[in-house]
Amino acid sequence: MSEPFEPKIVAFVCTYCTYAGADLAGTSRLKYAPNVRIVRLPCTGRISPMFILKALQKGADTVLVSGCHPGDCHFTAGNYHARRRWTVFRALLAFTGIPEERIRFSWVSAAEGAKFAEMINEITEQTRKLGPFTQYQELQKVIETQSTY
Amino acid sequence: MGIQEQYRSEAAALLSSGEVKLVIGFGEGSTADRRRPLFARTPEEAQKFVLDAACIANLSTYLVTEGLLSDGKKVAVFLKPDGIRSVNILISEAQLKPDQVVILGYAIDKAEITALEGRNISDFSLGEEIRSHTPPPHILQEAERIEEMNPAERFEFWKAHFSKCIKCYACRQVCPMCYCRRCIVDVNQPQWVSTSSHTLGNFEWNIVRAFHLAGRCAACGACDRACPVNIPLRLVNYRMGKEVIDAFDYCAGENSSQKPVLASFKQDDPETFIL
Repeated sequence: MSEPFEPKIVAFVCTYCTYAGADLAGTSRLKYAPNVRIVRLPCTGRISPMFILKALQKGADTVLVSGCHPGDCHFTAGNYHARRRWTVFRALLAFTGIPEERIRFSWVSAAEGAKFAEMINEITEQTRKLGPFTQYQELQKVIETQSTY
Repeated sequence: MGIQEQYRSEAAALLSSGEVKLVIGFGEGSTADRRRPLFARTPEEAQKFVLDAACIANLSTYLVTEGLLSDGKKVAVFLKPDGIRSVNILISEAQLKPDQVVILGYAIDKAEITALEGRNISDFSLGEEIRSHTPPPHILQEAERIEEMNPAERFEFWKAHFSKCIKCYACRQVCPMCYCRRCIVDVNQPQWVSTSSHTLGNFEWNIVRAFHLAGRCAACGACDRACPVNIPLRLVNYRMGKEVIDAFDYCAGENSSQKPVLASFKQDDPETFIL
């Protein structure tokens, strides 16, 4: 019998806000879904779109990208740059048919432990409904099964 | 005197006076309807230049050849308006010095070919013209058709196209904006994009290239023409250009003094999608 589907969620977070927020959720003993794998980065400006693609390539069902609220960046402007990048990247993914629900963006401050916990629960539930992202994960096999050459 | 003769003699004059060290233009191609880049370093070679409606390539891509302009000397180049737009973008990204490029501008309207006034990049103002520029009708229709699809259909559409990709990187080689000395696809620690041409790797490669061209593409269509398996690359580049106009009111290559769109920001940029 196959095991029930457990969503794999990868969260790329900045260390100054969202990671601290996740830390607060932990120290406040808030319970949230264990499906999220957090990757801590210095700033949202450090989050390359390649990270998102790599996470999907390695089998993530949903990717979350999260950082400081606008104006709160430790490096003054990292999140503003990231925001532009995401706007464009998100449009690109939508145009190439990667569902928008698979890539989520948020601002979570160091004080918002509860928001972080709620958000992870909500994303986990939504991903459970969406099911595994097999559409993308199966791309690797296409060449073996329906080679055009 | 036709434009071809006019530009031949002008190129010869530029070379014989020593103002430029090289003129990049078009010569005869392998068939009657094709043209191939011609690099003239002497006035005699300049007599071989051809300029007609078949000269559609964007020659600005040769300007970013490594080391070409590092001696501080000037180079002249035959450019259509989309090539001039590329030069604007390259200058705004500090890849070219404006006074090192002499532009022999021309425009093609159906079979008619006309000379453009001006030799220095600052002589050309593209502003309104490129903002209102629309791609050829078949590209526009196809883009609208894709917009109307649901994500799954869109995914299938691109999967069918990207599965054909053989990762020859012709799109990258021909693109004036792809000047990175080390392309992300050639980076192997970590290996961001798998280099074998299975569909996932193809997907990643084409997404990454489209992303890197967002807000930088001059819409010359060179990648589209270069693709040996006819992936409609122009479609995705057009969509990205539209996105930066809609979201940030930014049109790449309007002038040479704008800041690159993804290297700048406004505090009130839209963020409707962020929780």
